[in-house]
Amino acid sequence: MAAIDLRLQGLTRHYGAVRALDDFSHVFTGGQVHALIGKNGSGKSTFIKMISGATPPSRGTIWLGDRPVSLRSPQEALQAGIVTVHQELSLVPGLSVAENIFLGRLPKRGGLIDWSALHSRASALLQEMGAAEIDPHQPVETLSVGRQQVVEIVKASSLDPRILLLDEPTSALASHEVEQLFGLVRKLKARGVTIIYISHRLAELPQIADTVTALRDGIHAGSLPIAEATPPRILDMMFGDLPPLDRPDHSPGLEPLLEVRNLRLAPWIEDVSFTLHKGEVLGIAGMLGSGRTEILHTIFGARAQDAGHILLDGREIGTLSLPARKEAGLAYASEDRKQAGLVLDHAIHTNLVTAPLRRIAQRGLTWMGLERPHVDRQIADLQIKVSDARLPVSSLSGGNQQKVVVGNWLNTAPRVLLLDEPGRGVDVQAKRQIYQIIWDQAARGLSSIVVSTELEDLAECCDRVLVLRDGRITAEFAGTGLDPKSLYAATMAQPEGTRA
Amino acid sequence: MTARPTPESGSNAAALPALLRRHSMLIILIAFYILVAFTGRGFLSIDNQLNILRTVAVPGMIAFGMTLVIIVGEIDLSVGSMVAVSACITAWMVRLLSGGAMEPSVLVVMAAMVIALGFAALIGMFNGFLRRRIGVPTFISSLAMMATLAGVANLITGGSPIESFPSWYYIIGSGRFLGVPVPVYLLGLAFAFTFILTNYTALGREIYAVGGNIEAARLSGINVWRTKTICLVITCVFAAIGGIVYSSLINSGNSSIARGLELEVISACIIGGVSLFGGKGSIWGAFIGVLFLGVLLNAMTLWGFNPYAQQVVKGALILGAVFVNFAIERR
Repeated sequence: MAAIDLRLQGLTRHYGAVRALDDFSHVFTGGQVHALIGKNGSGKSTFIKMISGATPPSRGTIWLGDRPVSLRSPQEALQAGIVTVHQELSLVPGLSVAENIFLGRLPKRGGLIDWSALHSRASALLQEMGAAEIDPHQPVETLSVGRQQVVEIVKASSLDPRILLLDEPTSALASHEVEQLFGLVRKLKARGVTIIYISHRLAELPQIADTVTALRDGIHAGSLPIAEATPPRILDMMFGDLPPLDRPDHSPGLEPLLEVRNLRLAPWIEDVSFTLHKGEVLGIAGMLGSGRTEILHTIFGARAQDAGHILLDGREIGTLSLPARKEAGLAYASEDRKQAGLVLDHAIHTNLVTAPLRRIAQRGLTWMGLERPHVDRQIADLQIKVSDARLPVSSLSGGNQQKVVVGNWLNTAPRVLLLDEPGRGVDVQAKRQIYQIIWDQAARGLSSIVVSTELEDLAECCDRVLVLRDGRITAEFAGTGLDPKSLYAATMAQPEGTRA
Repeated sequence: MTARPTPESGSNAAALPALLRRHSMLIILIAFYILVAFTGRGFLSIDNQLNILRTVAVPGMIAFGMTLVIIVGEIDLSVGSMVAVSACITAWMVRLLSGGAMEPSVLVVMAAMVIALGFAALIGMFNGFLRRRIGVPTFISSLAMMATLAGVANLITGGSPIESFPSWYYIIGSGRFLGVPVPVYLLGLAFAFTFILTNYTALGREIYAVGGNIEAARLSGINVWRTKTICLVITCVFAAIGGIVYSSLINSGNSSIARGLELEVISACIIGGVSLFGGKGSIWGAFIGVLFLGVLLNAMTLWGFNPYAQQVVKGALILGAVFVNFAIERR
């Protein structure tokens, strides 16, 4: 099979006034592995959606070789020879490896499933792809995530792709699994498949990619052959020229407030220790699945640690229940406000006094009038745009919902505020306002821990940022050394040779 | 019924329909009440009105407890069996403690009641324990409990009613105070208790939060399992009080009473707009649902409906209410 170019001309996608991808033109040369990189929100997902047929472009053309194609559905993309392996695996856990590979096209004889043909074809395919150790009879759910990823790619290769999109295939893999996956990718490349490889792990790119293409704010920021793609040049493409940060001049005290000592939490955290000072805004940066959320959950008592101590004012709180830690002054604003932060159907009023109910109530009794000052104070302080606090909180915008989550906790008069992705799903202005709230609270002596994948946000909002990688704190940035590029390099890019 | 005010509902034009929607069940009840007043002979007589209240007293009381259980996101299908078993336990204990005396002392009767109520509270705690430690949905565990408790009631009585009560015991179920049947006072007390609980206590607000979003409630530092268990216990205790009332009405501990009462209780809640998805509903709504069922059954009797046809109408009504309940949630 001859390799085929993927040519994109003026590819554009609007969502309302927002341009998720703007005028993207590039030729992905046939038979090569092309890395596509970009930070969160740079337009990668939109790119994948358009190439895989999930979303039609607003403008622009996709060419396969010298033939323009119209991809109005995933089926049409498949027919054109474009196969996508999404980040979230699409395997059916209870079915066998063989059934998953041939899902929807099981071999049949006389109207019934031909099981022997199914299994022999599956094992031939697995063998051919160098994954003979996977038993086609085995249910997929019994395989490790890495093996599942391999099955997913074998399934994709069985569809005879001409273009293969791999969306962060290594994000959940251990290093030896990454090696096997690279083997698969190289085999497909040798067959003449054109591969678009989306990844966050800059260090692995030289091992697998022929070119690197970067997206920034929906724009094609540049493409380089891999030999010229040094880490600084990649970071420049991804981040462009950064505007100077406008952090307020704020110097936290040196008095320790919360101490985490030798925390272990399998399988994420090996050994983590740090100290949060009074009035400090401390960030924790880490990749997806690095255990950021789990650290916060453990400090807050929503999850038990395997080992280690958590001290507040030198007093052990690591053994207390969650309600007792709330009592002691901890607060936690979840990353997932819809699932774990708010009761969406309930009134804004109710959601602003859920955590502090027992504080506000007098001898267990409470009523609207008693709660209203607390509600009104947060609405005024946090500038929550509310026409009537009796309306359901779901009627608010994402940014205002996030403020309600924070306001609910500020009503408990906390000493330590744990914020999980406080900027997720809110617009830029609301994000700024939320950071302003964090700083205002810090100035009043409240300490915060912020975890996020958005490194620019961390760099902007925090006094100090710890980098969490492979279950340990591997770097610390503060003051002038704290900028997104160095954070990114520390979180994502790994020095050559450390990965075996 | 749940009304979700929209941002526009502040204007006068939209306020009226929203108001109607919020009180739709009350309006239906009033309309139905007027209809029966004109067509049912003797419906409006004070005796008949009090009779309706007396009939709904026990299911109504339990419905207030069940409302808490449903709001907190659980269900209890065993309340009918709980009524039967607590009636039997009370009668059995009176016989045991008094040594089979003809006229057991007040103290003995009180002790028997406390034992029955304590037993109910323990079962409620056990249900909560199963839910927490083993993760059995209460839909399943209470179904098993329904069969178990019915069996316990039969074991206690050996199949024939236990007649051990003193002569004054009828007062609890059939007595009147200032012309009003005693069970109606109990209904009023249960209403006041649960109404204050849901509207004016931190615990009550936590019940709504837990039912509305259990993870958010847990991460807000609410002890979600304690909250759920308290609701389950309250319902069991209310059912046991109902059992004592029934045992007084028939002056014996009989294991065959209150069969299928759970259906009546749960349907009253649903008719009253308590959401089966949890987090939404009110004691006031449940009260309207209870009254509606009571008025409907009374009307069908006054109209001379065949009792079997009454069952069909009741079933159809429940189906309709569930349909509306789900339709509102899916909006």
